Amino acid sequence: MDPGSDGMSLSQECRVPGAQLYTVAKLPAVRAAMDENRPLKLLAIGGSAAPGASASYPAKLEAALEHTLPKTDVVIDHRGLPGEIASGAAERLRTMVAEAEPDLVIWQVGTHDAIARVDADAFASALSEAVAWIRSHGIDVVLVDPIYTASMAADVDYNRIVDAVRTVAGQQQVPLVRRYEALHYLSSRSDKGEGHMLGRQFRLNDLGLRCMAEHVALTIATSLMRTESGTNPKADPGAPPLTVPQRAPG
Amino acid sequence: MRDPNAIDFWRGFALVTIFINHVPGNAFERYTFSQYGISDAAELFVFLAGWSIGIATSGRDGRPEPPGRSVVRLLARTVEVYRAQLTVMLLALAIIAGSALLLDNPLILEWHNAGGFFADPIQSVCGMALLTYQLGYFNILPLYVVLLGVAPLFVLVGRVSLLAALALSGSVYLASLVFEWNLPSWPGEGDWFFDPLCWQVLLVLGFVLQGWNRRSDALRRWSRRLFPAGLVIVCLGIVLAVTGIRPDPLIVPEPRLLFTFEKTYLTPARLLHFLGVLLAFAPVYAILAPRIGAMVGYLTQLGRNSLAVFSMGSILSLIGQLVRFQTGGGLLIDVLVASSGVVGLGFTAWFVEWRTRSKSSRARA
Repeated sequence: MDPGSDGMSLSQECRVPGAQLYTVAKLPAVRAAMDENRPLKLLAIGGSAAPGASASYPAKLEAALEHTLPKTDVVIDHRGLPGEIASGAAERLRTMVAEAEPDLVIWQVGTHDAIARVDADAFASALSEAVAWIRSHGIDVVLVDPIYTASMAADVDYNRIVDAVRTVAGQQQVPLVRRYEALHYLSSRSDKGEGHMLGRQFRLNDLGLRCMAEHVALTIATSLMRTESGTNPKADPGAPPLTVPQRAPG
Repeated sequence: MRDPNAIDFWRGFALVTIFINHVPGNAFERYTFSQYGISDAAELFVFLAGWSIGIATSGRDGRPEPPGRSVVRLLARTVEVYRAQLTVMLLALAIIAGSALLLDNPLILEWHNAGGFFADPIQSVCGMALLTYQLGYFNILPLYVVLLGVAPLFVLVGRVSLLAALALSGSVYLASLVFEWNLPSWPGEGDWFFDPLCWQVLLVLGFVLQGWNRRSDALRRWSRRLFPAGLVIVCLGIVLAVTGIRPDPLIVPEPRLLFTFEKTYLTPARLLHFLGVLLAFAPVYAILAPRIGAMVGYLTQLGRNSLAVFSMGSILSLIGQLVRFQTGGGLLIDVLVASSGVVGLGFTAWFVEWRTRSKSSRARA
């Protein structure tokens, strides 16, 4: 993506080459909402909360998206999702999606499972099932992989989880924000290492959050350019419903 | 000190199960009953809390104590649980922050929703006092505080009519399911992990059943008759859990929560499954007790000191998670974590009883 075109640029401090920032895929539900001139309903799901002030990530994301998609009204619902995707959190996600009924789910995923040392294959299959379920209901998904931090760079399990997110995004054909690669790139560009992103108390600081919001917005905008109008989000052959519809007993 | 009994035994059993389930990914998780049904140890814990309220608010002769005394007793217990929640939260946050500093790893701060606290300490500390800010896996005690807080209402109504107490509770439960009422989280969007408006029904059910059980043996007769139904429900639960078949929340008819399996709202399917488990396992204690004396002794001691054991269990499971994280896990570590936990819980219960004994002997001296 040419970062020069209007409304589609990253600010100087957040600039990362496209190849290291995202993989794109079609977003038919978002396109449909925009074609119908509806407000775009987003469900942003954080690691636990978003890294950084819980109030400021959704605000920054909304600002970045309205900058990138100037004609669209964006409504963001933000939820933390503590727990592991491989055990239980995927079920909570289904509840959240059913409550919010969004057009698009922006899902930061993997950190908890990495910390809990969940087996990467179990994580990948649970994530894959959850993504397929969301898409089977005509809702788009953008995945955001875990953050880069020097203290985890050599950790094999952590890298396997990051890889698993990428694999699932590829298999399910959903856009991926490669946060790990992007932060790695940005921290290698500065003498201060990751310090200027993670802050003194090593949390994603204001800049880190703003960059993340911009990266997500750019990934969505670029993906939308690949999505032609009139595609029916429900008629996606790649995502058969995995769950047998089942009434509760009794 | 109470003699070993079925209530304390099952409560101890629930406490050990909760401890194991709160170290996600560990090798023993798949051997807990929570993996083989659609309800789990949380239901057991809350139901037994209700049953215990029934016992605590009636005298030795089985007649209810004066209403004023019951209200004060429940108020005292609410304060005690609230204090435990604050202590546990502070320790958990300190353990998370301390590990992040010690291991020089910012990721640890994101654990269990703790990130919000370190990002917005001003709002979060208010939320902590208000119980609206909860850490993942640290959300049972806030539920318990609210349940004990509203328990006097049901206990007082129950003095007039147990059926009326159950009807009131059931109406609040059904309305909460239909209208999706829940208490809000703050700071941060969302709702409580355990919806007190729904979960209160299990506490009141425990209280009411204890009352009926005390008055006549009709309940015992019926539970024996319904034993086969309990078995069928348990088997059905195993099939559903193992196959992963569950209702799709976007496909079920409205009101959605009447049909799904959500833990947050203790949906009817979970409640029904729990009642099935209750029917199927009610006779088990009498069969087991004479055969596994040491185990009964251990679990009932945990059950008698459930608040202290639960609090220590949440701290120990957090430490267990950190140990698994730092060492990379593996069977050896899991055995170590689980066995230290089991010993730690046992020590906590022993310590609380020792302290109580030594206090009362000093008072007598």
